[in-house]
Amino acid sequence: MTTISRPAERSQLYLTKITTRDLNVWYGEKQALFSVNLDIERNRVTSLIGPSGCGKSTYLRCLNRMNDVIEGCRVEGKIALDGDDVHGEDVDPVQLRARVGMVFQKPNPFPKSVWENVAYGPRIHGLATGRAELDEIVTTSLERAGLFAEVKDRLDDPGTGLSGGQQQRLCIARAIAVQPDVILMDEPCSALDPIATARIEELMEELRARYTIVIVTHSMQQAARVSQRTAFFHLGAVVEEGETGKLFTDPREERTRDYITGRFG
Amino acid sequence: MTRIVDPVLDDLRQKILRMGSLAEAILQKSLDAIFKRDAALAREVRIDDLEIDRMELAIDEAVLRALATQAPVADDLRKVVAIKMMATDIERVGDLARNIAKSALRLSEDPAGELPDGLRILADESRRILRSALDSFSQYDAKRAADVLDDDDVVDERQDDVIRNAIAGISRNPARTSQEVDFILVAKNLERVADHATNIAEDVILVTEARNVKHASKLAADPGAAEGDGDG
Ligand SMILES: Nc1ncnc2c1ncn2[C@@H]1O[C@H](COP(=O)(O)OP(=O)(O)OP(=O)(O)O)[C@@H](O)[C@H]1O
Ligand SMILES: [Mg+2]
Repeated sequence: MTTISRPAERSQLYLTKITTRDLNVWYGEKQALFSVNLDIERNRVTSLIGPSGCGKSTYLRCLNRMNDVIEGCRVEGKIALDGDDVHGEDVDPVQLRARVGMVFQKPNPFPKSVWENVAYGPRIHGLATGRAELDEIVTTSLERAGLFAEVKDRLDDPGTGLSGGQQQRLCIARAIAVQPDVILMDEPCSALDPIATARIEELMEELRARYTIVIVTHSMQQAARVSQRTAFFHLGAVVEEGETGKLFTDPREERTRDYITGRFG
Repeated sequence: MTRIVDPVLDDLRQKILRMGSLAEAILQKSLDAIFKRDAALAREVRIDDLEIDRMELAIDEAVLRALATQAPVADDLRKVVAIKMMATDIERVGDLARNIAKSALRLSEDPAGELPDGLRILADESRRILRSALDSFSQYDAKRAADVLDDDDVVDERQDDVIRNAIAGISRNPARTSQEVDFILVAKNLERVADHATNIAEDVILVTEARNVKHASKLAADPGAAEGDGDG
């Protein structure tokens, strides 16, 4: 008799990009995350929402082991990317951070040219042989980040000379250039005006065809607009996770409702 | 804690409650016009209905503003949407009262004619159901709203009684066809009032329990209903 995986298992395998099991994080004595269990679905945008200090950034940093570099930070529990433990012995954190890229609240281009900003990663990761190939990666990445048309004549100008919104898209291009699977964004629009914000939001919708996106945002409307799944964090724990439309019309938990409707006090 | 959205929701609620009482009053007036054969009352209904139309416009405007400025979510969102839907139903009740008043005008030309008892009973039932529906909203009382949904069948039966009797009346005395047809029209309009009251009760359940019970029994009976039930 042959065994066939049941449909439920197959779709699980297909849907889940990252699984988090019983994740606990401490900064010194202080515990910041408490037994977090969360699945991040492939090719979707997942929003992490919750009050300041609830552990959203801490969780995000666990996904590509950025907490490793924070002194006194201790992580316990299991995070698997495509089924593989990110804390596995053979996992190189630098490689992991290429696969799971990150975009920060404040755009942080290197003080180098636009071209260099994007080419740097592929070069150190050995993704290209020679200038022509690098050029191609730079162009494709800038195109995917929706920035190429605006900067194609300024590739040698400093990245820091771009507008805030352009700088943020440059950072997205930089993350894309090293061929990630997952892009983490920690409040990527909080320093941007509504137009630049709208461009990043549209970009997320395009990018999710290729990548899995996790975004931290304090804007309920942004979470509602851009994501398919939303997780609500409170006091270091996941209170509720679910389909975004459902969570914003009929949250399961009273604490979620109180937070998204501004009843928290 | 008072949130910025609270007074906005409160204002919408007050507006819809006022619109609801006006609809009740105008329905009452149209029925009085029928049963008292009062042509003057019937003519007032037309003017009163304009006020309901104006209130609907005001609510539409307030709902759009609330959505744009407050971007409500969860129960706040469900309230705003329910109020918009209720305004539509209440406005329709106003139109139905106007139809009833038209029949009242015609019937007033025949002051000697008998009015069927069944029509009185139906009128009382429809009025009571509308009242219960509006009360269930003013108290966000899901239980009361659920009772309204159960009562709708009673009205359908009453309507059928009136129609059956009117048809019998026509065959007995064809000279009174015009009056009997008006009884049928009034019954039909009253049954529709109860339908709108049912919609209002369904909106109350959407607000209080986040359940959409519209067409629930119809859809449950549909053999194709088993599929496409996931959250895609
Ligand atoms: N490097 C650090 N050292 C010590 N404690 C930290 C550090 N980073 C975060 N914390 C603490 O861990 C908890 C969670 O912080 P985290 O930054 O993950 O919250 P957040 O949800 O991202 O908040 P915000 O919305 O303000 O960005 C907080 O109590 C915070 O003070
Ligand atoms: Mg943070």
